[in-house]
Amino acid sequence: MDDISDILNDVSRNNDPFAEDLYAPRSVTQSGQADLQALTRAWVNERGAAELLPWPKDGLVERITERIKTQIEEVEVMTGDMDPKTNFGLIIIQTEVERWKFLVRSFLRARIAKIDKHTLYYLSSPDLQSRLSEMEVAYATRHQQLLHSHYLGSFLNSFPKQLQNLNDTAGGISMIGGPDDDSGVFARALGSKDGGAAPVIITGRGRDGDGEIEVARGEVVVARWADVKDHVENGEMELV
Amino acid sequence: MALPLSAGLTPTEVAFLCEMEMVTVIPRQRLESISLLSGPTPALRPPHRSPLPLWLALLLKRQRRANILPPPWLLPLSLERILKYETETSPETFSPPPPHPHPISARPSPSDSVSPPFLPSSTADAPAGYLPYHWLELGEILLEACPDDIPDSGRVRGLLRDLREVRMAKMRGSVSAVEGGGVMSLKGVGAMEVAEGRGFIVGVMDGLRKLGSSREVARREREEEGGAGGGDDEDEDMGFE
Repeated sequence: MDDISDILNDVSRNNDPFAEDLYAPRSVTQSGQADLQALTRAWVNERGAAELLPWPKDGLVERITERIKTQIEEVEVMTGDMDPKTNFGLIIIQTEVERWKFLVRSFLRARIAKIDKHTLYYLSSPDLQSRLSEMEVAYATRHQQLLHSHYLGSFLNSFPKQLQNLNDTAGGISMIGGPDDDSGVFARALGSKDGGAAPVIITGRGRDGDGEIEVARGEVVVARWADVKDHVENGEMELV
Repeated sequence: MALPLSAGLTPTEVAFLCEMEMVTVIPRQRLESISLLSGPTPALRPPHRSPLPLWLALLLKRQRRANILPPPWLLPLSLERILKYETETSPETFSPPPPHPHPISARPSPSDSVSPPFLPSSTADAPAGYLPYHWLELGEILLEACPDDIPDSGRVRGLLRDLREVRMAKMRGSVSAVEGGGVMSLKGVGAMEVAEGRGFIVGVMDGLRKLGSSREVARREREEEGGAGGGDDEDEDMGFE
């Protein structure tokens, strides 16, 4: 009797050009689990920060989408030759796929919410724009175009010419609102990049004074986002 | 399309995270290994124990295909010890979290930066006497799903409730430390406690920051004029521990 993993392996080798990569004996455990951990961390960070975080660089989301797609194809094949033994395995596989899909969806939706809120801000400089994925840039641009032409059509047109801008910076005050950089966040130290068990050192700013605090690995602190932002982006800390 | 939730995980999302924790099960039926996205599951052979993620263990438990072995910290004796520590030894701060299961060696490894829920802090080999990050959710989920697997589950339920009350008071008390701004340590805090306290603590922090922003700007300007020497003295009386 073939067990499920054998069936899966056979099927994937026949249909999928990337099968060798995905189902190589050792890398399955390592990379699948590693991707799940990376996605979970990206999701929690994105849900915790007021600001849009950089799009994961190493093609994480694309890779995970591909994994989910392959797995769903397996399920479709397996439902063809149903016997009661594989039935329960199928339920487990589908439950897991649903969990992964939830993570991806919630991650993308959290990003869209932030882009919707401060569209012009994220499009305003190349540096900020580099945080968005290609699709998100296309979405944000289109969103802003629609909004602008709607505003023009409904009321901006009747304003004097010099008051029609949406990105005016006259008088030293920019019209483009951004997220609140100083909002409070809960963050956990993961360990210093300088190596070993060295604690992460945060420079915190307070009302009555500034100072440095050492945060040991695994310790959770409350701090302003701007003070821990660099540590989160270089992987020394994560939000919780 | 866009997510209508404000920043920070909600309690349901925390429970979702908690379901990724590893627990130990004792299978009652054979089950072959399954290739999941996160890697193959161990083949289940009764009566050999196997580590499984909590969501899968719950699925097996519900179908009466396995029993879940409660983590050692969830046993009454361990919880009593923690409660004693929380109330008598350290009435101000949380009890310490379990030691990191992957100690840092000289050579950097991928496990160095692994954090909950991916640490094996609730398997049968986890240390007793420490509350792991997802203690409250995990305890509640196990009490709900498999009270028959937990020895003296009524007592465990009561102890969890006591712990929760003691620690909630500490969480509320920590707000006074936030007043001056700066960074506040919550060593040993749990995930659900963060989710519950977030709205209040961040609200207080942001509100006070906005009220005190002119004072903060004035202080910064004063320090710049006075040079670095003046700044050091003021560091003494700020909200750092």
